[in-house]
Amino acid sequence: MAQNISPEQSGAGGSSKHNDDSLPIKDNHAVSKRLHKELMNLMMANEKGISAFPDGENIFKWVGTIAGPINTVYSSQTYRLSLDFPNSYPYAAPVVKFLTPCFHPNVDLQGAICLDILKDKWSALYDVRTILLSIQSLLGEPNNESPLNAQAAMMWNDQNEYKKYLDAFYEKHKDT
Amino acid sequence: MASLEPTQNKTWDLSLYELQRKPQEIITDSTEIAVSPRSLHSELMCPICLDMLKKTMTTKECLHRFCSDCIVTALRSGNKECPTCRKKLVSKRSLRADPNFDLLISKIYPSREEYEASQEKIMAKFNPTQSQKALVNSINEGIKLQSQNRPQRFRTNKGGGGGPAGGGGGGGGGNNSGGVGAANATRAGANAVHAHDTASNDSNSNTNGNDREQRDAPQATAVGATPGPTAAAPATPMTPSTPTAATSAGTSGASTSSSRMQVDDASNPPSVRSTPSPVPSNSSSTKPKRAMSVMTSERSEESESDSQMDCRTEGDSNIDTEGEGNGELGINDEIELVFKPHPTEMSADNQLIRALKDNCIRYIKTTANATVDHLSKYLAIRLTLDLGADLPEACRLLNFCIYVAPQPQQLVILNGNQTLHQVNDKFWKVNKPMEMYYSWKKT
Repeated sequence: MAQNISPEQSGAGGSSKHNDDSLPIKDNHAVSKRLHKELMNLMMANEKGISAFPDGENIFKWVGTIAGPINTVYSSQTYRLSLDFPNSYPYAAPVVKFLTPCFHPNVDLQGAICLDILKDKWSALYDVRTILLSIQSLLGEPNNESPLNAQAAMMWNDQNEYKKYLDAFYEKHKDT
Repeated sequence: MASLEPTQNKTWDLSLYELQRKPQEIITDSTEIAVSPRSLHSELMCPICLDMLKKTMTTKECLHRFCSDCIVTALRSGNKECPTCRKKLVSKRSLRADPNFDLLISKIYPSREEYEASQEKIMAKFNPTQSQKALVNSINEGIKLQSQNRPQRFRTNKGGGGGPAGGGGGGGGGNNSGGVGAANATRAGANAVHAHDTASNDSNSNTNGNDREQRDAPQATAVGATPGPTAAAPATPMTPSTPTAATSAGTSGASTSSSRMQVDDASNPPSVRSTPSPVPSNSSSTKPKRAMSVMTSERSEESESDSQMDCRTEGDSNIDTEGEGNGELGINDEIELVFKPHPTEMSADNQLIRALKDNCIRYIKTTANATVDHLSKYLAIRLTLDLGADLPEACRLLNFCIYVAPQPQQLVILNGNQTLHQVNDKFWKVNKPMEMYYSWKKT
């Protein structure tokens, strides 16, 4: 399973195994055009449980929110994420990070997410909506084989204990 | 008809579906089948650039279509697989040009080049380096121009259309009235995202809605060009975020501004007119334009009556609850809001309230899919703009909490993710503008 590759390994640029510089960079215009379209589609679709909006005046930086998936330990939580789009988007994945602290086997304490579709399984067809939905489902179905947060991965099997720990974790990080 | 399923044993059994289905009748008379531009567009769209397919390439194995440029770039930059289905694509040789599809598109959209050129122009104005300052400037300019045009518009409002008022002719934003500033603002706004007079979300989706309109307008003509009633179809399913967006189907930048202005007015009924803000009756300003627009569909007429209703509504500050109650409250519906300061947390001696004076009550009309978060963002920007230099230093970057009062004296704080539609359903069942309260917290 290629799902859990450490983000460091695949380079800070956030592109899949390719370096951003090597990508034929379409002009920013095409990228922002696509982002505008995505924004519009997202507004129109009114998807439940996820939302996203450009953060300030830069269309290349968005803030998204996802609701913790129901029937999981994460339900009732809301998470904010940052999405940074490279100039080579959509041929390279955006850098997605949790802004809200998230205790999860595949999320490290800095908020970096280990998800294959954000790395080597990226496809130009993914968009903000599908990224957020994927992360939402990752919350409920972690890949414990190659964790970023080993403690969370170890605790995952005992869901009651996990939930307790999670509640304490959020109590501690309430102000952040 | 033979079974479409790959049958192992070469017999031509009919599937259950084929046995049950009624054959589609061949249309021999002049009946027209309407296809919404949106569904048409999704068929003709490149899933990578989300634009209409250009120099279509089809994958030989899985038959997925992309623009030539898009798929070539994708193959060069990513995994060697079909972006749609991950089927292996070794190289460009796994692709095949699909000129028939290009022909089909050019048949459906004969005016495509023209349309693209106008899109380019509009997008060019979304200069990404536009700063917040430019946005503020253009908004202020727009407000100024609008206030200059105010008396004139009132007359037009009474006269019920036509006249010298409003955004003027369809020039691309370079015309002489209030349109200019607002148009600029919209452009900057779409880019800068914080918009001024509706919740930031909405203005954006408005703008986008308009983009959509603008892209759809030529399509409308195109489809309409094939005979008859098809022309009625394009407008209807487009669910732009507001009916206003639908009205200004003109292809110019000015139409963006006009529908925008219309939203503006709604947010400023007579009682808060002291703010230098847009005026009602703007909706009338869209009328001449609408007459000029390419669309002569039922929907246009319908939306015209909508906007007339808006005029009336603004007049007696009633709520226009069209669509409500019949289960059709969709994403293109609008909600009217009255925003008041929180009775206890925002008392008269509060710094902000003192600065705002009697402008502390805001009237907003926005789309039902805006969220509470968007509203608080909007408030922050709008109040910052209104107050300008008067704004107490401590109030900058306001963080608003938003409450709704299902019953007097009972304030419920709202979660930022809720859409206004949800709030309305949950707390506000009466048929009048929803009342919300705001308070700000220093963070």
